[in-house]
Parts: sequence; structure tokens; C-alpha cells
Amino acid sequence: MKTDKKIVHALLVICLLFSMLIVYLTYFELFVKDKIISNSYNQRLNADNSSVLRGSILDRNGEVLAKSQFKGETQERVYPYGSLYSHIIGYNSRVYGKSLLEANYNDYLSNRYDAHTLMDILAKLEGFDPAGANLTLTLDHNLQAQAEKLMRNLKGAVVVMNPRTGEILAMVSKPDFDPTGSKLEASWRTLVESPDSPFLSRATQGLYAPGSTFKVVVSASALDHGLADKVYKDTGITTIDGKEFRNAGGKAYGEINLSQALSVSSNTYFARLGTDLGASALKKAAEAFGLEKDVPFELPFNKSRFPYKEMSQTDLASVGIGQGKILVTPLHMAMIASSIANDGVMMQPWLVKDIKTVNDITLQEGKPRVLAQPISAQTAQALKEMMVDVVKSGTGKKAAIKGITVAGKTGTAQNETTGGKKEQEHAWFIGFAPADDPTVAVAVIAEYSGSSGGDLCAPIAGKLMAAWLNGK
Amino acid sequence: MKAFKTLTKPLNPLYMLVLFDILAFFLLYIRKTPFDTQALIVGGALLAGTLLIYILTGIFQLGDRYMLLITAMLISIGELILYRLDSSLGLKQAIWLGVSFLVYFLCYGLFGLITFWKRIIWVFPLLSVLLFLLTMVFGTTVNGSKNWIFIKGMSIQTSEIIKLLFVFFLACYYSQRERLMDKYPRIWVTLIFMMLSYTMMGLMILQREWGTPMLLFLVFTLMLYIFEKDLRLFLLNGIAAAAASAVGLLFVHHIRVRVEALVNPWKDIAGKGYQITQSLFAIGSGDFFGRGIGLGRPDFIPDVKTDFIFSAICEEMGMFGGAAVILLFLLLAYRGFKIALECSDTFYKALALGITLIFAFQAFIIIAGVIKLFLLTGITLPFISYGGSSMVVNFAAMGILQRIAALRETEGGC
Repeated sequence: MKTDKKIVHALLVICLLFSMLIVYLTYFELFVKDKIISNSYNQRLNADNSSVLRGSILDRNGEVLAKSQFKGETQERVYPYGSLYSHIIGYNSRVYGKSLLEANYNDYLSNRYDAHTLMDILAKLEGFDPAGANLTLTLDHNLQAQAEKLMRNLKGAVVVMNPRTGEILAMVSKPDFDPTGSKLEASWRTLVESPDSPFLSRATQGLYAPGSTFKVVVSASALDHGLADKVYKDTGITTIDGKEFRNAGGKAYGEINLSQALSVSSNTYFARLGTDLGASALKKAAEAFGLEKDVPFELPFNKSRFPYKEMSQTDLASVGIGQGKILVTPLHMAMIASSIANDGVMMQPWLVKDIKTVNDITLQEGKPRVLAQPISAQTAQALKEMMVDVVKSGTGKKAAIKGITVAGKTGTAQNETTGGKKEQEHAWFIGFAPADDPTVAVAVIAEYSGSSGGDLCAPIAGKLMAAWLNGK
Repeated sequence: MKAFKTLTKPLNPLYMLVLFDILAFFLLYIRKTPFDTQALIVGGALLAGTLLIYILTGIFQLGDRYMLLITAMLISIGELILYRLDSSLGLKQAIWLGVSFLVYFLCYGLFGLITFWKRIIWVFPLLSVLLFLLTMVFGTTVNGSKNWIFIKGMSIQTSEIIKLLFVFFLACYYSQRERLMDKYPRIWVTLIFMMLSYTMMGLMILQREWGTPMLLFLVFTLMLYIFEKDLRLFLLNGIAAAAASAVGLLFVHHIRVRVEALVNPWKDIAGKGYQITQSLFAIGSGDFFGRGIGLGRPDFIPDVKTDFIFSAICEEMGMFGGAAVILLFLLLAYRGFKIALECSDTFYKALALGITLIFAFQAFIIIAGVIKLFLLTGITLPFISYGGSSMVVNFAAMGILQRIAALRETEGGC
């Protein structure tokens, strides 16, 4: 019948129209929504689930580092220590969104994680109001406060970690900012436009030339290649392929071996060692220690750079003394120091000790994880002894702690702005203690400070390690 | 008995519905502190009501069981979302659902008893005009459309009733056309039919209501295509519509505003584009799987309880939830078409088709509107949006459609 045929046509039209709806919706979710939902007219950005109290963030001893409280209908986020944790916890602003841990753990903090419905019921049965989960960090508040105090007038970063477990004990980046909502909103423009980049988390995202601290990596490669007893005559200056390499202060140390060269941080020795080791050995060592590798971490963590494809003789010499194109983050240098402390085993750094609900049910627990083994235990032991000499009798004397053997390495790095001028150099120190059974490792950098690592950073590292070891 | 046999099949779609209802209302129960017992009562009543209708339909062969299940699923989704948005509104809607169930059976019974439908063709346009005059005199303007009558605190949206009158009119006409054309000149019959149809649609435009006339026009166009032997009328109607849209676009401020909001809502996001952009934010933040019931912020969407309820579904149940609703309407339309195809009597065929098209186009227009695929007009999403008049009228229509389905099954053709 003709009418029935036309009815089928009508059905096809309906089918077509409805499929159009589904196709358009799919297209919308795939390609359009990301562009629009961040529009400031989207009130969801500001009013995130305000009926449920956002979770707190605590240090390893239960000290409150961030908490929320109701103020009328809305919540406000309180940071009792102001800027102290700005580069770890980040901010939680109504206007500017969230960053760092506040962003990364937002699902837990704002009670939106997968099993929260079930947990809410359990909480209610125990008489709690459902609230966001609480984060406990591996940080130690006293150590963090002290690190910040020591860095207060500098630009740079400090990382203190447990070399055995990879726990971050303190991590400070300077300059920092006050993440408290009202203050952040008032000073946003200034902060964004400041040439000091206060929003840059230097410890994890700042990329710096490592300078002489990188000599421990080169030394590790030399030890593995049987060059421990290699002796060069240090005349204070050496010329490789037409480029001059000088010792700091132009000092000449005469006939020295690897250990002595590391202790006095001889540039001429390590420049020549670099050329003798060659490209593949240096590259292998750098990669073994994690340069050019992404390391999982709870905060955005830039990978350190070793961007060479081909290496000339001068490149080899430059890398030998930690210059050239290599760039590292302070946290990565702390990991390198830790791996020497921890018998050659590099642990994965971590920051979040556990996540617990309001009624104390553990949702997630951090665990020590092995990241890599860049060097053998014997090599680590040999390096450790050399680094003890650095603090005992070499450039790192100011890191010494009474009654405790400290191992370390100083560094003073030229960078893009120095152009040969001393007053713009980065000062570095990496180290760990006690040398025979290390429980704390440190990396300190004071960027563009013009001081030497031994003078500026070694004392900071020494004080922090002493504080941690005596505090426990 | 057949009805009970199907109940023991584990894959009976009924159990999906039961499971959905149990999960949905349990979730609403535990959502608040202290637990919301009212949610359980509402959910229990809804489930009991649906089961009762399902079993009665099974035993007494009262129509198409699948269509019943699809409808039940739609009202469950609607009740879940409405209760979540505002529990007092959810309670009111539950009461309206109770009334609607009664109206459903009432219409089911009455429609079968009355056999003189075809002879009262003139009643439908007359009633429409009467309702129009009533609203012009006693009406109240809601959201810019003057199509509400308030009687003792209760509001009735007259355009909902006119919708049903209109399809009755079309069905009567097509069943009587041959007889009328034998009696009167063909051209006059056609002219008067077209005039009356346009009048019924046009009256609502005078009340500043755009959604229902557009819906009726789409239904009308497809009916012309299906039942007119000569396609010239269908084409003429299309040309007239194009001309009317052009005139509307040029001269009617109301229409221009809506077209601007469709083309670029971001230009005037605080004004003309506000509603649609808020809806898009909701759908976007729901992503594919949704934020979860009670975890989104559909309260930011304007008119979320009525016109924009689909956006709330997408925000909390995700695009997949939204697609499920769309597919449910498609299935509903399919069952309706099937009933129409199996009828041999033109009146029943046209009526079944008209009602089905009303459901399908109404769902399409409002969904396409809130996802910014088409002009946004204020009509309800059938069986889901909040609103007594709309729910009761939809259930009345459903009762009639089911009676046609039953007639087809029991009396060997209708």
C-alpha cells in the first residue's frame, strides 16, 4: 500500500533526525567542549561542590598545611604558613583555578574520587559529615620552615630527601607567593608579570646547568671504565680544540688523580677526562642517572636535558665539567646524590604519604619504589669516599657537621647570562649524611648568585642535614 | 498465562527497569544526611505503579508492553533527575504521575467506548479556538508566552491540549476526506482543511508561543506527505513555510533573537546567549560518562526543570545517558510507527501516527534546541520534564495509542 510505504519514509526521517542528535552530541563532547567549558561564564569553575568540605593537607607529623572552612555559604581555603608551601600545594582559587597538589589531587580533596559514594555512607554510619579526603605528605614542617629561612634572600631551590626511600622531606623554591585566595587574586597580575617568575617551581621545573656537581656523574663513568687511577698534570688551564678550560681562580694542582681532582673540583682534569671517556660513555652515564628520562612524580617535573646527538671534543670537555648544553632540575640532582648514598639504587621521589577519608580509611598509600640502578654498589662506595674527601678537605668544607661524616660536591655553574662574568653564576651543592649510613640527601642551588657553591650552598646543606639528623 | 511466563525470563527488559529504579532511588535515599526516606517512598510508589500497569497490560492485553516499558523508563529518568534537582518538585511530579496513570486508563477506556469520533470533526478546531479565547481572556503570561490558565492555583498549559486536538482533527479529516469530497467540491474541502489547520497552529503564535506551532507544523508536514495522494499540497506547504520563516526572520524580533543565539551565542553570553551557553557548559562538563547523580551543578542551568532537563541529564549521566534517552524516544517512535502500520482503518492509522510524531518531534525539537543544533523553543521533553499539563496530556495520548494497539491485536484489525 502506498500510504504504508510513505509511513516507512517518515520513520526513516525520524531515525535520521535522532541519529543527527547523537552524532552532534558525540562531536560536541570530542571536539567542542574543551574549548568552551573554561569560559568564565561557566559557574562550575567557581562553585565546585561547595557543600562538601574540601580535605586538608598535612605534613608527616600531622601539622596542618592547608585546610578549608565554611564562611557562610562558601568555603575558603586557609594556608596557615602562607607562601611556605606555595610550590608544593599550589593554590585553589575561585578565579584562577587550581595548581600543583590542589589540582592533581582535586578528586580526592573535593570528594569526587571513584569510591566516594561508598565512603560517604561509611562516614555517615560513623557519624561524620562526608568531607574531602585528607592528604598526608612526606614533608617535615620544621625542616621545610628552616630551609625556607635559609633561602629567604636568595633565588633558587632546596630539596631534602630520604635517599633510602625517596621521600621528599623538604622542598623549597624561591621566590614564592602567597596562595591564599584573596591575596593571590589581588596580586595575580604582578606575580604573572614579575621577571623573577614567582610561579615557577624551581625545584621541579627549573632547568639549570649543573656545573661541577655533574662531576660525580662523570666520575662514576670513569670508575666504571677503570680510570680511577688516571693521573693528569693540572696546570690550571687546558686547551681543547681551541677552547680554553680554566680552574676556578686559575689555580694549578699539579699531578692529581680522580679523587683529588673531584675534591678540588679541577676543571682541567675533568675536561680532559670527558674527552678521554668519549661521547658514548658520557651519554650512557647521563642516561643511567636519568637525564632525558621522565620521572613519575606528584607534581609537574621537567626532565633533565642531555640534548646531544653528535659530540665534538669541546662538547665532551664541557660536559666533563657539567657545562655545555646539559640542564638539570634541583630535584633531579638530589636524586643523583641519593642514588650514590643508597648504594647505587635510585629511588623514585614521592611526596604524598597517604590519602585518608574523614573517618580514617586509607584510600592510597605511598610506597618506596626503585626507579633505576645507575651504578653498582662498589662504584657508589668509591664515589662516596671521594665525596667525603670533598667535605673533609676540598671545596665543600662548609657543609661539615660536627660528629657526622658528610659527603658532598660543590658546583659553580656558568649559564646563558654570565658570558664569562662571575656575578651571574649559579651556586650548587649536593650531598648526603651520615656517609656510612645515609638517611638524608640534599641539593641546593642559588641561581645567578655569583657566589661559589662551597661558600653559599654548602653551609645551607650542612645546616639542613644537621637539623634533620639531630631532630630525629 | 503468557503474562506470567514472560516475568520469569531473566532478560525481560522489565528487570532492567526495576534495577534502574532501585539503584536510582537508593542513591537519592543515601544522598542526604539524614537519609531521605521520602525518596524511597516516591521510588517505591513509582515502581509499584509501573509494575501494576505492566501486569494489568499483560493479563488483559491492554496494548503494547514494550511501549509501556519505554515510557516507564523515561518517566523513571525524569523523576530521578527532578527529585535530585529539587525533592519537593520530585514529590509534586510523582503526584502528577499518579494522576497521569489514572488519566491513562480513563483515556484508554473512553477512547474505545466512543465510536463517533469521525463524525465530530468540527469539534476539534472549535475547541481549539475556544481554548484560545479562554487564554486570551483569563490567561497569564509565563516565560513570554500567554498560554497558561490558572484555575484555583492550578495552572493549565492550553497549548498541550491543542496539540492533541490537532492530531484528532487531522485523523478525522483523513478518514472522512473521500466522503466529504464526494459531497462538496474537492478544492473547497482542501482549502477549508488547510485553513483550519493553519488557524489551529497560528492561534498559538498570537500567544507568543513558538515551540508547539513548530512541532505541529512538522507533524502536519509529514502527515501531508503520507496521506495526500497528490504531493503538490506537501510542496506548497513547504514553500509557504520557507516564506513564513523568511518573513519571521526579517520582521519578528523574537525569532531574530533566537536565530542570533543559535548562530553565535558567545557574542552576547550574558544576554541572548545565556541560556544556551549555560546548557552547553552543563553538557560539556558531563563529558561521556557524566559527573554522577548529585555531583554536577545543573542548578546553574536556567529552566532546568522543564525545557533544559536534557542538559541536566547530560551533565550528570553523561553523553551516554543523553544518547540513551534519545534512543528510548527512537524506540518509542518505532513502536508507534509499527502500530500505525498494522492498522487498516485510516482514522486509527492517522491518529496513531499523529500521536507518535508528536512524541518524536517534540523530543527532537527540544533536544536539538538545548544542544544548539537547532532553534531553541520552549517546549517540554515528553515524559521527562516537570509539568502537570504536559505529563497528563502525554499520558492521555499514550492511553489512546495503546488502545489503538490493543484494538489491532484483539479485534483482528482496526
